[in-house]
Amino acid sequence: MDPLEAIKATFFQECDELLADLESGLLELEGGGGDIETVNAVFRAVHSVKGGAGAFGLEPLVRFAHVFETTLDEMRSGRLATEPAAVKVMLRAADVLADHVSAARGQGVVDEAGSVRLVGELKALCGGGAAEGGADDEVVMVDTEVEDDGFGDFDFTPVIVEIDAPAEAAALDPAALPTWRIGFKPSRAMYAKANETALLLRELDRIGACQVALNADSLPDFDALDPEESYFSWTIDIETDQGEGAIREVFEFVEDDCEIVVEATGAGAEAPLDAPLSFDTPSEPLDAPALAAAPEVEVVAEPATPDGDVMALLERAKLAAAEIQATAPASAPADAPRAAAPPPPAAAAATHPADGGDAKTGAGTTIRVDLERVDRLIDLVGELVINQAMLTQRVGESGLARSSTVSVGLEDLEHLTREIQDSVMAIRAQPVKSVFQRMPRLVREVAAMTNKQVRLTTEGENTEVDKTVIERLSDPLIHMIRNAIDHGLEKPEVRVAAGKPAEGVVKLCALHRSGRIVIEVSDDGAGINRERVKQIALDKGLIAPDATLTDEETDNLIFLPGFSTAATVSDISGRGVGMDVVRRQVQALGGRISITSIPGKGSTFSLSLPLTLAVLDGMVVGVSGHTLVTPLTAIIETLQPKANDVRLLGPNGAVLAVRDAYVPLVDVGAVLGYRKGETDWTTGVVLLVESEVGGRAALLVDAIQGQRQVVIKSLEANYQRVEGIAAATILGDGRVALILDVDALIDVRRKDARRSAAPPAARLPLAS
Amino acid sequence: MSNVTSLEKAGLQKAGRRRELISFRIGPQEFCVDIMSVREIRGWTAATPLPQSPDYVRGVINLRGAVLPIIDLAARLELGDTDATARSVIIVTHIGPRLVGLLVDAVSDILTITEDQVQPTPDIACDTVREFVKGLLAVEGRMISWVALERVLPELEAEAA
Repeated sequence: MDPLEAIKATFFQECDELLADLESGLLELEGGGGDIETVNAVFRAVHSVKGGAGAFGLEPLVRFAHVFETTLDEMRSGRLATEPAAVKVMLRAADVLADHVSAARGQGVVDEAGSVRLVGELKALCGGGAAEGGADDEVVMVDTEVEDDGFGDFDFTPVIVEIDAPAEAAALDPAALPTWRIGFKPSRAMYAKANETALLLRELDRIGACQVALNADSLPDFDALDPEESYFSWTIDIETDQGEGAIREVFEFVEDDCEIVVEATGAGAEAPLDAPLSFDTPSEPLDAPALAAAPEVEVVAEPATPDGDVMALLERAKLAAAEIQATAPASAPADAPRAAAPPPPAAAAATHPADGGDAKTGAGTTIRVDLERVDRLIDLVGELVINQAMLTQRVGESGLARSSTVSVGLEDLEHLTREIQDSVMAIRAQPVKSVFQRMPRLVREVAAMTNKQVRLTTEGENTEVDKTVIERLSDPLIHMIRNAIDHGLEKPEVRVAAGKPAEGVVKLCALHRSGRIVIEVSDDGAGINRERVKQIALDKGLIAPDATLTDEETDNLIFLPGFSTAATVSDISGRGVGMDVVRRQVQALGGRISITSIPGKGSTFSLSLPLTLAVLDGMVVGVSGHTLVTPLTAIIETLQPKANDVRLLGPNGAVLAVRDAYVPLVDVGAVLGYRKGETDWTTGVVLLVESEVGGRAALLVDAIQGQRQVVIKSLEANYQRVEGIAAATILGDGRVALILDVDALIDVRRKDARRSAAPPAARLPLAS
Repeated sequence: MSNVTSLEKAGLQKAGRRRELISFRIGPQEFCVDIMSVREIRGWTAATPLPQSPDYVRGVINLRGAVLPIIDLAARLELGDTDATARSVIIVTHIGPRLVGLLVDAVSDILTITEDQVQPTPDIACDTVREFVKGLLAVEGRMISWVALERVLPELEAEAA
């Protein structure tokens, strides 16, 4: 990848973060929360996107972002209230902005008409002169300082400066060069990023003769001095013919981290400066060692300070430098002043854009790592675990005493490998937030399409789960939420008639439960219409006419292939694939899905997923001389069948009586083709398993060998899917063992049954 | 300048690119595959059989943490099942993105040839030969068949159909 492309890729990555911040900020505003800091954060997010896009010449993106930014600026300055109607427009604008970013990335296209319409709406929000300003690209936004007390917690009030102004000013006196007055107040963030005022001033000096005045008024007593804070500001009068653009260019890299005002003062400016300075001959030599030793006191060590107090301070600061250094680097420099900001996500949204993304500020806390490297590490650790297990087994076989040093050392090694494995897995764990964040937009779109009023609430966004699970979670969730809005929630008028608020609520919630992550999508709609579901299932031949179903079984009918309750096939969810697809996607992740529904009160879909796709707790069983692993999550209990509990059913079928319920018996050896001929149902052990849909079966195996955590190895990587087998693993003896796919195993059996029995019986997994 | 270069290229192309092949035996017959597709050669270890698989798939083995399917090449070429012994050899090959082990009787040689030495497979009435043999080589009086590796896996065959 050429360097520019690489930078661009980084930009787009940052865009994703910024857009997420933007959305969460707007949502907070919409919910009535948030303060001026939230508005600022939102503004900065859009501003950063625009800035980056400008650097890459992404014109349509810049144009849209500019209008958006202008409107947000109105809100920031208080001229536009943060009322829900305005925020709603902004949320849609954020969606369009995201579309523009995707389009710039070469993914998808922008709905031009929609974009233009929103530009109109945004401008309408601004109203009057500001709207003109937004549309007119020839004005430049300048941030000017409102309050002078700001220790990091500063605020901007933008003013609009006509670019033509300097030309007019200069025209008054053509002989003299135009002069400018620059107000420059760096924030601590600027110093935290290793920028230096002296260098900036030197740069300014290069484009014209400078008169620099230092304002050290806000410098507190030494006892109150925060070594990392920025207390100084400068006023620079410069004589140059290079125009405002050149001046701004000097501050280009720090403009986000300082307050800067550039004003044309015309030729022959008044206002004498308090303490004129020339940077050609620095009045004090730079104390390089002091600067190097204590970068956090560089403000104090600024050479251009003739103030005696400051010099005294400098001496004392030098003495304190070592002490400061011991404590200062430990605290994240730029975040400290905002520690009092509102709690996350607002705090996160507020700090990130201001500091240019966490990649820079959080250098000490987070790093970006190529996913491939992490995956490679996980693979290696997987191999280490296997190797360690093999070693343990070999040592065990060699007949060494358990108390021997080798065995003891091996035990330590086992603990270590287990810990390494857990830590490596934790690297991949991510909060589900990244998926949840995509949902508000979906809800808005679907709500608009269905003319329903919907509010989405989320809970447990910080629940962590493996990245592979997160990546594959999005599709089923999108489907379920669409379904909840399209089929679950009623039309506003129906809701009102039923005594509910017109606005429906869809709740998305994540939590950890017994080593799995559970995600629930619930709505407060009408619940499942069981009569209709049953009728449809009957019409489509999915159930036998005389089948008697419990409510739970009826609810679960909607997961059957080809089942769709939508009376009219809509754009949104009624494509006849529906929940069947969701169930398959969830099962492919090793998860289960279930539904509970209360008529009139709503339905809850609950997904239960493994935390990782890389390891699995399994029961190791022997079948006809082969070793197999059964996922522990599927096993309800194991039992030794008594002869009179086994009842033959039909020519070659059998059921097992488990506490008065008859559960179909599956001979694993026969289904997998390991043995042929009659099955002796009474020898061996039975694993009572539950399939993902709640159906039960009893798997007959020869013996149980033990229980252990195994590393999942894909069969598809080098071969292909095998019916009845979920994956493979490598056991302690170095041999490959296959992991049973319990659901498919029951299915295989059912397929066989269907093939032999001409009129198919009820195909529902309703065994218990 | 550029003319000369392209002429030279053309000349080289006429002679065919040089290739290195690994030849191996299955029963009395000799076969070969491109050495570039071979990752390693290892001894036989018992494989874990896969259910619902064609009989030429002997199962899977553990190749340093990866699950490697083993194809009994003799069975695949319809030459009868290999009676795997400690002397049997597994040739680990790249087939597309996959790693696949081929079970053969013995590895015999490394051959350096130019492509023009490869003779087209004679038109004989045998589907297996037409499917799996890319061409024939005559080396020191021995006839060696060049195996079309991409046909060996069952589902790649299905994709081609």
